[in-house]
Amino acid sequence: MPATLSTFSDQLADAVERGAKSVVSVHARPRLPSTGVHWRDGVIVTTEATVRRDENITVTLPDGRRIPAELKGRDAGTDLAVLAIPAGQLPAATLGDPTALRPGHLVLALGRSGDSGARAAFGAVSATGGKWRSWKGGEIDLWIQSDLTIYPGLGGGPLVSPDATILGINSGGLSRPLATTIPVSTVERVVTQLLAKGYVARGWLGAAMQPVRFSDQQGGLVILSVEPDGPAALAGLMVGDVIISLDGHAIEHPDQVLELLGGDVVGRTLKVELVRGGKQERVDLLVGERPRRAR
Amino acid sequence: MNTAPYEAAAWVKDCVVEVRQGAGAGSGLTWAFDVVVTNAHVARTGKVDVRLPNGEVREAWVRFADRERDIAVLEVPRLGLPAVMRRDPAELRPGEVLFAIGHPLGVRHAMSSGILHAVGPLPDGFPGPPQLRRLPWVQADLRLAPGNSGGPIADAEGRVVGVSTMIAGGLALAVPITAVEALVRARAA
Repeated sequence: MPATLSTFSDQLADAVERGAKSVVSVHARPRLPSTGVHWRDGVIVTTEATVRRDENITVTLPDGRRIPAELKGRDAGTDLAVLAIPAGQLPAATLGDPTALRPGHLVLALGRSGDSGARAAFGAVSATGGKWRSWKGGEIDLWIQSDLTIYPGLGGGPLVSPDATILGINSGGLSRPLATTIPVSTVERVVTQLLAKGYVARGWLGAAMQPVRFSDQQGGLVILSVEPDGPAALAGLMVGDVIISLDGHAIEHPDQVLELLGGDVVGRTLKVELVRGGKQERVDLLVGERPRRAR
Repeated sequence: MNTAPYEAAAWVKDCVVEVRQGAGAGSGLTWAFDVVVTNAHVARTGKVDVRLPNGEVREAWVRFADRERDIAVLEVPRLGLPAVMRRDPAELRPGEVLFAIGHPLGVRHAMSSGILHAVGPLPDGFPGPPQLRRLPWVQADLRLAPGNSGGPIADAEGRVVGVSTMIAGGLALAVPITAVEALVRARAA
């Protein structure tokens, strides 16, 4: 029997109903609440930009109860924030695999706002791709763009497949006006770091660099300034040095350095190959932690 | 029920008229024998022109209009069209497929489709005038444009759940068909 529109309609409504069991409303800004996902037992994930205060945060559960939540950490780079609630309040999210998404796949965005029930939007994946860096500097494992409308209050809510698995967290702010989804793997990584430290530690060299070319074949990054007592200074790097490789990777663009520093690299010693006064040299550099700016 | 997408849309299309008053034009849906429902901001008072799906234009008059709920009821002599099937939007679940038929930007009998976002008042803090926010709405994730006003939003079976009325925060808002029933009943009594 061919699938009918009513069958399809019921399937979508079922997916909303099932997916919404782990979707809460987050009251952490004036006026309109945002949405959050009960990612693991006792752990709520939402978007960082919608958490406008650090205290007096509450969440409304699917059963209508409004309970206090504690901010465990935030990362503007990936637009994620983590809140803690007592364990055992509601089911944890059923996570899916966003790497299987292709343009054209049908998806839902879910939300919850205060005392109302679940809210939903529907659309298709419009583009997918590999790793990218947000304009705020966070590394995001997959590019997932959809034609979903992230209505006011839907930010921080999940991207849900028609089989009700959660594929990521929708951000209204990462690449406006497009709906962008932070995929499951990135959320997992950031949640773990936020629960452990309250923030995402990023590597720091303490040097400003700019691309420079020696020839058609070879280039590097020339050091323009060195932060006093920063990791680069402590390693003996000087203004005018040209870095040509870092940790064994040839380096020609600052993005490559940022990518290297985005991973779990703080406290590691990296081999730096550089050109100083026309001669190639090697130094060891102990990567520091990027100083955190006051919000 | 096994309903192919085009069937439901075709049934509803036969119940959608165009309502013209002055320079403005909107949509309307057949409510009963000789009765059409539209928005009060489409047909304010007095005489209006109603264009049937077959192209015939009939002169009609506004029997009553409720400005607050933005609903007008028109008397259209010799209408001769089937009335829409109706469904209580309280039965809808978020995610259910909905479609709107109207004349957006003058494109006659255009259909746009989407899903139910929510039913009820808009959340506190949602964009839009507060007095409108507090009214119950069928909130749909589908695209409306000027000219859709007064037309139906229907479910996957072609049962009308609301009257397309406005857009707030990008969301399509329709007056619940039950609110229209209540208005009609109150005026008839």
